[in-house]
Amino acid sequence: MSFQSIRRQIETLSPGLTASEERGCIVLRGEVDDWQLAVRAGELAVDKKRYLGVINHITLKGFTQHREKPTIQDTELAGATPDVLIIGGGITGCAAARELTQYNLDILLVESKSDVACGASGANGGVVHVGINFSKKSQKHHYNQRGNRMYANLSKQLNVPFEQKGQTMLCLKSWEKIPVWLLKHKSIKMGIPGVQYLSREALLKHEPHIPDFVIGGMYMPIGGITNPYELTIAMAENAIQNGANIMLNTMVTDITEKDGHIESVLTNRGRIFPKLVINAAGIYADEIAEMAGDRTFTIHPRRGTDIITDKKVGYMVESSMGISPFAIMPHQLTVVPKNPVKRFRYYMKSLLGKNHTKGVGLIHSVHGNMLIGPNAVETPDREDTATYREEVASILEVQKQVAVGLSNADIIAYFTGVRAATYEEDFVVRKGIFTDNIIEAAGIQSPGLTAAPAIAEDVAKWAVDYLSQSTVIERNAHYNPNRQNPPKMSNLDDTARHALIKENPDYGIIICRCEEISKGEILDALNSELCVPTLDGIKRRLRPGMGRCQGGFCAPLITQIIAQHQNVSLSDVRKRSQDAVILYHTTKGGRL
Amino acid sequence: MTCIICPNSCQMTVEASGDTYNVTGHKCARGKAFAISEITNPTRTLCTTVKVNASYLPVISVKTSGPIPKNRLMDVMHVLHAITVNAPLTCGEVVVHDILGLGVDIVTTTSLSDISS
Amino acid sequence: MNRHDVIVIGGGPAGLAAAIAAHREGASTLLIEREARLGGILKQCIHDGFGLVHFKEQLTGPEYAERFIEACHQQGLQMLTLTFVTKIEKHGDIFIVSIVNRNGVSKHAAKSIVLATGCRERTAKQIFIHGTRPSGVFTAGTAQHYINLLGYMPTKQCVILGSGDIGLIMARRLTLEGAKVLGVYEAKATPSGLTRNIHQCLYDFDIPLHLSKTVTRVYGGDRLTGVEICAVDSQMNPLPETAEYIECDALILSVGLIPENELAETLSVKLDPKTKGPICNEDFMTSVDGVFTCGNALHVNDLVDYVSESGDIAGAAAAHYTQAPHSEITFHTGQNVAYIVPQQLSQKVTAEKTVLYFRSAKPIERCQLFIKVNNDIVYKKSYAFLKPPEMERLLFDFSALNLQSDDHVTFEIEEESHDLHHLSK
Repeated sequence: MSFQSIRRQIETLSPGLTASEERGCIVLRGEVDDWQLAVRAGELAVDKKRYLGVINHITLKGFTQHREKPTIQDTELAGATPDVLIIGGGITGCAAARELTQYNLDILLVESKSDVACGASGANGGVVHVGINFSKKSQKHHYNQRGNRMYANLSKQLNVPFEQKGQTMLCLKSWEKIPVWLLKHKSIKMGIPGVQYLSREALLKHEPHIPDFVIGGMYMPIGGITNPYELTIAMAENAIQNGANIMLNTMVTDITEKDGHIESVLTNRGRIFPKLVINAAGIYADEIAEMAGDRTFTIHPRRGTDIITDKKVGYMVESSMGISPFAIMPHQLTVVPKNPVKRFRYYMKSLLGKNHTKGVGLIHSVHGNMLIGPNAVETPDREDTATYREEVASILEVQKQVAVGLSNADIIAYFTGVRAATYEEDFVVRKGIFTDNIIEAAGIQSPGLTAAPAIAEDVAKWAVDYLSQSTVIERNAHYNPNRQNPPKMSNLDDTARHALIKENPDYGIIICRCEEISKGEILDALNSELCVPTLDGIKRRLRPGMGRCQGGFCAPLITQIIAQHQNVSLSDVRKRSQDAVILYHTTKGGRL
Repeated sequence: MTCIICPNSCQMTVEASGDTYNVTGHKCARGKAFAISEITNPTRTLCTTVKVNASYLPVISVKTSGPIPKNRLMDVMHVLHAITVNAPLTCGEVVVHDILGLGVDIVTTTSLSDISS
Repeated sequence: MNRHDVIVIGGGPAGLAAAIAAHREGASTLLIEREARLGGILKQCIHDGFGLVHFKEQLTGPEYAERFIEACHQQGLQMLTLTFVTKIEKHGDIFIVSIVNRNGVSKHAAKSIVLATGCRERTAKQIFIHGTRPSGVFTAGTAQHYINLLGYMPTKQCVILGSGDIGLIMARRLTLEGAKVLGVYEAKATPSGLTRNIHQCLYDFDIPLHLSKTVTRVYGGDRLTGVEICAVDSQMNPLPETAEYIECDALILSVGLIPENELAETLSVKLDPKTKGPICNEDFMTSVDGVFTCGNALHVNDLVDYVSESGDIAGAAAAHYTQAPHSEITFHTGQNVAYIVPQQLSQKVTAEKTVLYFRSAKPIERCQLFIKVNNDIVYKKSYAFLKPPEMERLLFDFSALNLQSDDHVTFEIEEESHDLHHLSK
């Protein structure tokens, strides 16, 4: 498609929209009343062959991005001169930090939120993907395939749960075997092992609770599940154990770039002078790239909501499964046209996966809950992690047909993550194009969790290559890829647990009754390398508050433990961010 | 009026003629007494906490030893806001005598050991 | 391994009563409580209104608990506090209870078990409140813990959702401590709490009660900044066009209690979908022989006095438990009966009085409760009014009926006006 034709299409989309060619990118400008138009324009402007990417400046009328900012202002980092500054404490940034600690480097990672994995890395289903649906040429495919292979070893090193029980696409009608057969051949070409069609009987061995209407399915053995934020935290902790520095509540507000070189980076904790910057800023990665003069892409936020069920119904799915994208669900039968021609068209559309919201399925979490979702909704708001009644209802409506017998009473929570999608729908993992001392690790949406360890390998290699130009980089002789982490009581056998309690009686005091977590484990988390002394910080490390009572019983106890440990009053303990106050003042002694 | 003496929540009617009150709808004598007091001088038992020193909890639960006029509840709250008692305490101990001259004491409603135990 | 006749799990009002009863009946009894102090939720229920049935006087929650705790100490009952049960296994006719506490992991054997594990509060997610995830959303019980035990205020200005008793009690408590309660919202058309609590907790303090309205969304990135309120239709579905925004710093939830039966479920105890507690017989023995239940784990009670009563019955029965073949007659709930506890009756029931608890399915004025055996009325009682929030208790002698296994026992509530209507036809 020529630029002229792209421009024509953009201009007819909505009055006042413009398209131009700048520095090898297509740049869109203007204002729209409907965010979908801005997204549509971005999609129309994609031409991967001839352009570096789409820079979409189109704004939504009346919308301003509210950004949650850290309240702290100090000079803690003023004048710091790290070899590498990693912006963003998601899985990509943390994996890169850990990878880089193999070398004797001064590594600083800054994260604007009060913990790592606060964006998409924290709010996703934890699927380690097979990657069958990506184009063979895409970075998504490349890194997903490499990343998937790394998981078995990585999860052992970091002591994080990982189960590789496969991924299943359920088929409802025998004609679906045809596209499955095509996909199987695609998988062979892509180097994805073991993909096969299984009859209902054979599939039941992997997924014993598939609904009656399922005739069989495509089984992909390399699919797995992990806990995404636990993994990110583990990477961060291991990075710190190997010498990296991680600063939370630290936000990049400006970058000084001159002649294609970053000179300094301004944060709320002072101005930093890094030799090299790694942009792993997730949902804000395009803004960081813009500040650094290296922008070739646009992040268009795409929300996804997942539903968490009680462990009681966790049996419904063994690993992860979804209805094949071609399938017509029983509830959709009424909308399938009767007219044969229209019906054929409808099936063709189904075949191309256009009748479905992408990615919706059932996932067995590593903790035994079932996760349902996610959906996919374009939003102008990069921090729109709210959940919406209608969306949760519609996810449930569809998935209740696969999760037979699921009732609303089985649902214990839901959450929304915002994916950092680019219009090219691919990762942007590359060295700086217009700026020499930046590495982009952007647009990391699904399968970012799977891909991150592989992305980190390349990013670290490029970083070392760059820094080697000016100095000799030595290997870190003390590097230990194995995370040293404290014991989890409920996983131990009675003898081991008994012995540990004898050493430390706090391990025998159960604070969280739903997830069986002891006071000793909470204190261990508070004493860890990456201490996040908030209710959510503890919750994400140990899971108190994630069970069926959702923290009703344990929150007051954990608030007390945190306050005692940090030697602060109860009213100084926060839920998550610095403004997320839990308690105001004492009931007695003060003003009434 | 709804009786709040017990969970039966009897619906009562009070007819006043001069100084005499005719109560209907009650199921017990306490209900009748409540109805009349609710018209003449509504009273409530106040249950709250006071600050406690030297224990593993910062507050101890207390109550008025008898009902107090409804319109004095907040006055008593204000007084109790400022006082501090010392553990150990046993259930039923008087921590404030004749509060605000209302003729009732403030008594603990639980036992609280000191920090050493 | 330590051996006991009865192990009672849970040291709240039900467990305390059960342990005392089991001990009284001569059983060697062990009481296990996970918290440091006995008394369960009563420790934080500092308001009065407890004990009118049991002690014939108005007590606060801690005072009520204190009397039972005293009794336990006086009788030299074996108790383990700050002790958590991780597992119960049944080996033949012996139960092995695995516990963990500061002394380590250990196992205790018992012939029978009383589960007095209480209940938990429903959470915001379970009632489908959407929006962001700020701090400032508390269940009423959690807010009560912060205020009454820890002495801290979780709000300055709040909205309470749900008119359950704890919510009403907290409205008053927060007001007394200087917070502003903007209103209590209830999705149902009638209040969920006791009428006396509506009066003494809300009306005494001019706190408005809004019926048929619910919270649909919370706002705020860090701390809660406001809530969205919607009116609901008769099916309790929110009506978006009625949405209003209320600025506040907290949402306090009193939207129901759920019996905690996770331990029971690991023993494959059958639960009643209506009560969410175990299906049991007149001794409060569950579907698993030797496993007894009581208190709020059995069904959510409105009065602690009945919690103690069920604990007493279960504890005594657990003490006398011997494995023997038995068969049960199932009670059926007819019209207007939400549930009946116990759900079953031993065919060879010997007790002269069986304690029965029930709730009506809807508020009804002037009605009659009937117990029917094969459509013959064997008992009837008139009520001026029945309301679902107010549990009813009844004693009935089934032993004289000499029931057979194929007898059909039904509980029904008939509206009297309904009858009159029939007559006038």
